[in-house]
Amino acid sequence: MEMKIVTVALRHILVVEDDAETAKQIVDFLTKRGYETDLAVDGNEGLRLSEANEYSVIILDRMLPFVDGLAIIQRLREAGNVTPALIVSALGEVDDRVRGLRAGGDDYLVKPFAFAELLARIEALARRSATVVKDTVLRVGDLELDLVSRTVNRGGRDIKLLPREFQVLEYLVRNEGHVVPRTMLLEKVWDLHFDPSTNIIDVYVGRVRRKVDGEQTYPLIHTIRGVGFCVRAPR
Amino acid sequence: MLLVKTLRSTTFKLALISIGVFGAVVIVLFGYVYWSTTNFVLSRSDSAIEAERTTLRNMYDTNGREGLIQAIERRNSTASLEGSVYLLADQSFSPVAGTLKKWPVVKDAEQWTEFSADALAQNRSLLYRARWETLPDGFHLLVGKDISDLGRFATEIYAALAFAIFLIFVLAAVASVSVTRRTVGRIESINMTSRAIMEMGLGRRIPIRGTQDEWDQLAQNLNSMLERIEALMAEVKQVSDNVAHDLRTPLARMRGRLEKASIEKNAPDHDQSLINETMADLDDVLRMFSSLTRISQIEATNRTAAFRTVNLGEIATEVAELFDAAAEGKGGRVEVFGDKTMHISADRDLLFDAISNLVDNAIKHGREGGLVSIRLDRKEGEALLSVSDDGPGIPSGEFEHVFKRFYRLERSRSTPGNGLGLSLVAAVARLHGASIRLVDNAPGLRVELHFPCFDTIGETTYRRSTANAI
Repeated sequence: MEMKIVTVALRHILVVEDDAETAKQIVDFLTKRGYETDLAVDGNEGLRLSEANEYSVIILDRMLPFVDGLAIIQRLREAGNVTPALIVSALGEVDDRVRGLRAGGDDYLVKPFAFAELLARIEALARRSATVVKDTVLRVGDLELDLVSRTVNRGGRDIKLLPREFQVLEYLVRNEGHVVPRTMLLEKVWDLHFDPSTNIIDVYVGRVRRKVDGEQTYPLIHTIRGVGFCVRAPR
Repeated sequence: MLLVKTLRSTTFKLALISIGVFGAVVIVLFGYVYWSTTNFVLSRSDSAIEAERTTLRNMYDTNGREGLIQAIERRNSTASLEGSVYLLADQSFSPVAGTLKKWPVVKDAEQWTEFSADALAQNRSLLYRARWETLPDGFHLLVGKDISDLGRFATEIYAALAFAIFLIFVLAAVASVSVTRRTVGRIESINMTSRAIMEMGLGRRIPIRGTQDEWDQLAQNLNSMLERIEALMAEVKQVSDNVAHDLRTPLARMRGRLEKASIEKNAPDHDQSLINETMADLDDVLRMFSSLTRISQIEATNRTAAFRTVNLGEIATEVAELFDAAAEGKGGRVEVFGDKTMHISADRDLLFDAISNLVDNAIKHGREGGLVSIRLDRKEGEALLSVSDDGPGIPSGEFEHVFKRFYRLERSRSTPGNGLGLSLVAAVARLHGASIRLVDNAPGLRVELHFPCFDTIGETTYRRSTANAI
């Protein structure tokens, strides 16, 4: 199987959003993060741009003038275009999500959102096609995860984790250096598509952190305020 | 007014149509009865006349004209053949013997004929039916019968039938008017109530007559529908009042904070904390909004499309594991007891959310260092899931209120939460056809979810897709 190589140069994002202020905020934010962005303010323009250029990610609003966001994705997919699409919508119920993902969207973000979460999801999408890790052992700093025996050790000392805790750590480590939003963790580890109104995920990750980072020289699991978590080793 | 409505009503029009059809059938039927009865009587009298004529003709053939005259006179003198008429006339139709004074004006020979004539014995005119023939010697013999009784009989039958038809029409008309009036009256009372509701609000009810008929049933159903609507309206009003209150509080806080910041010059780090606090408040408001829309979406739509067979025990175990970390923070723990192999048809996301809410409540309102237990039982064909704590519990008087949106006990006003958790649980329970019960756990509170039915299928049938997602 041939791996698709995403070059650094392809940090080109299309934003299809009809609300002028939201669009400007997204574009400004992404530009500051080093992305090159194109903006389309209606469905027709979005369709034209997405067909004309190659993007690493397309961000679409669900409800757009002229051509609906879902219709754009469907048109692209029918034409064989597999550019990752992130649907951003105020329609946030499970049914809406399912409809969005079924139409060919790759991820769904409900308005209002934190920009940090938007960035985390864009990066996850841009990465997805690029990385295929076949290792059976994942390493970050002095932390080692054995994916076959499902064991963890740090600096040679075994850490006992519950199966679900292992999955949480595995997902964070696989996305090393990137922010993983809480909701994404809930989706990928628990397969749940709702935002629990409590801080339960923080508490849960807190316990994983105590087991992994407790009594260590440096922390690996970092909390990104208001967004989620990030596993990062000091350089 | 009611009469006009009665005459205009569909019921009345239908009644008219059926009266018309029924009446036509009755008229045809009675006509046939009339025709066949009179015909029968007439043919009987005709055959009697024919028999008599044959007898007399035989008499003539054997005994000659003299014998015939004797026979006629013999008949005249006996009363046995009352009502019969005989007349023997010569070639010029002058009477020779018989009961008539002169030859009546009649049709040709061998044809039935009817005529009025004065009988010899009586001095009144009678109606006769007769037939005559010309004998071989040129004389004419006429034999007939008085049919005035027959005519009277026919008239009487005719009158009786006509009266019966008239009576049927009158009765049917009266019946249809009264039935229609009754129907229109009941419908009118429903209409009046509807108008009253449109004009004056939902307080009115349709009067019930206590007859237990279909009209009463309709009225009862409409009334209970009105009650449900009224209750929902009251709930909606309560909810919007609460939304207004719970929204206004954080919004007012944010506004105050921003206003203060715009007037005063603050240190940058102060500004930063102000921004963070405002964002946290905004997040609370947004979360409340999404909880509300989520609850109403669950309640409004019949979203059983996402239903799959799920292992209740597995979900309970996952919730317990997830929340155990939070309970640990209060020195407590969450554990699952009982039968962990029960499968029900459910929406996994919603079920997870609902059980999470129950466990979250139990941890928040339970005892410091207490035990929150999720218990799974099979009970009389039901799958029973209960979440209990060993804390202070809630007074049984509050049981019915806690499912209301935004309802919070006085003492829990200080703890985080928006009072929507149990409303969501109730909505999810309703969607799954489950009943929800609060029980005093002594000590603490136990919330029971009774799922209607479940299957005990093997573990292999349901496999989580989570592992593949990573």
